[in-house]
Amino acid sequence: MASTTTPLIQVKNLHLYFGAFHALKDVSVDFRAGELIGLVGDNGAGKTTLIRVLCGIHTPSSGEVWFDGRKVEKFHPKLAIDEGIETIQQSVGLCDNLSIARNFYLGREPVKRILGIPILDFALMREKSTKVIREFGLRDNVSADDEVERLSGGERQSVKIGRAVEFKNRVVIMDEPTNHLSVREREHVNELAVSLKEQGLLVIYITHDIFQVHKLADRIVIMENGEKIEDASTHTMSAEALEEVIRQGGRKVTKKEPV
Amino acid sequence: MALTGFKRLVGRHTEIGILLIAALLIAYFSASSDGRWANAYNIGTILQVTATLGLMTLGVALVIGTGEIDISVGSTFGMGALVYLWLALRVDPTLAVLAALAVGALIGAFNGLVITRTGTPSLIVTLGTLMIFRGLAIALTDGFSFSIPYASRGKFTYWLFGGGDIMGINTAIIWLVLALVILMLVLGATRFGNRLLAVGGSAASAHSRGVRVDRVKLAAFIICGMLASFGGALEAGKLGFADGSMGRLMELQAIASCVLGGCLLAGGQVSLVGALTGVFVLSSIQSYLVVMGVRPQWFMLLLGVIVVGAALGDRVLRQWAIRR
Repeated sequence: MASTTTPLIQVKNLHLYFGAFHALKDVSVDFRAGELIGLVGDNGAGKTTLIRVLCGIHTPSSGEVWFDGRKVEKFHPKLAIDEGIETIQQSVGLCDNLSIARNFYLGREPVKRILGIPILDFALMREKSTKVIREFGLRDNVSADDEVERLSGGERQSVKIGRAVEFKNRVVIMDEPTNHLSVREREHVNELAVSLKEQGLLVIYITHDIFQVHKLADRIVIMENGEKIEDASTHTMSAEALEEVIRQGGRKVTKKEPV
Repeated sequence: MALTGFKRLVGRHTEIGILLIAALLIAYFSASSDGRWANAYNIGTILQVTATLGLMTLGVALVIGTGEIDISVGSTFGMGALVYLWLALRVDPTLAVLAALAVGALIGAFNGLVITRTGTPSLIVTLGTLMIFRGLAIALTDGFSFSIPYASRGKFTYWLFGGGDIMGINTAIIWLVLALVILMLVLGATRFGNRLLAVGGSAASAHSRGVRVDRVKLAAFIICGMLASFGGALEAGKLGFADGSMGRLMELQAIASCVLGGCLLAGGQVSLVGALTGVFVLSSIQSYLVVMGVRPQWFMLLLGVIVVGAALGDRVLRQWAIRR
């Protein structure tokens, strides 16, 4: 059913070079609203690089990205966020020196005018971020005014996820969202991913763990060495079969051969 | 317990160290100078120096806050002084100040654009502009100095821009207080301030949240240039003359003040009050050496020794504060 609608994000023949390094090689892939995509592959496969193009951090060397039927001309995180793409990045996204509340609204700070001067609306920033950090199970003694550097790895991850869900718009990209999380927190994140999809959002879920994401996703995209090597519905391919594809590193000859 | 409370205070507020050092030095200087240091005239002089160096330091603190550095401010200060004095003779001092601000903004914009567009380290770019504008200042004055005759110093606007006193204190202090209040508000309670600190804390994270990192840095450099140039204009107004050497080595004092005052050189942490206290401490030390009749040849050396001592003391205090 989903396949009949126009894709929300279309990637066409994307190449990306970092100097001489060919990080993305001719990647073409479609993502539709209401889909949960598992983006899987080994370290260095290009998963994170691909989504960093989608969220505006990297500008492709060649190829096209289409969003909602329009060709993307300029790449910047601000533009992606304005289009409704929220990303939970793995290594970036929080400034340790700022409070949780200030991080929460970084780049879209709410203001009130006092004598015509736009002053940050601290009450709103504090109230919203407190509500979210409580929902995401941060320690009771953590307040929205605490600097992020005081948080544990899991709490930092929770803040990023809570923020993306709070501002959810059209697309939520999660890069290894369950890293640093406890079993219970992991469960919670996975439930959230499914519920966002059910609300009609496009969810792109990056992980190493094919078995975990196979249970959640509608479709699995596998990358290897900067290339897309598999793009299959979870209804037609089992997690075991997909794992074999990753293991073989996309050597299509062996993959296609019946065992 | 009072001690743990104090510990937390020091841990949270990086400027406590320099405030303590300032208090100790004031006590020591007052006690040991037989009234030569702690008198209204001398304090007025210290405050005048604090005001012009302080304006420069506030700007440098913003740039340091973004994780960059601007060492060209001493030359920008000199350019501001020359532009102001040359024009103050010909037009109203208000216009002359505006022109000085514009020149400062241009120098800052040049620094900021080259740094953000090319990715060249700010230390190198501003080292270049430090030399360029010092060279220009020396060439423009050609070994002489610009000066303004006493007859032309009567205007209210001339008085307002460093050319006079209010209750024994140079009017430059008004501008310093005004700049401090505005910048504290900007840094603590506006979008720009939040983003500036975010860029200094982690430029990559700020970028990923949609912050235009380059624009934030550019704005910081422009503000820095304007404040340095404004400081130079006020200094020229106070002296009534300006030569090609004005502002020399002040960039180093401004950076030292920022670091002593609790600004992190790596960026992301700025204390404007701390930085100004650092300026006050440096000006006080200088003035103490003068009133105690220390031979000027020893100034630099003693100043350096005291700066290193103060920095060490501050470090020891902070390490004590973060130890549990």
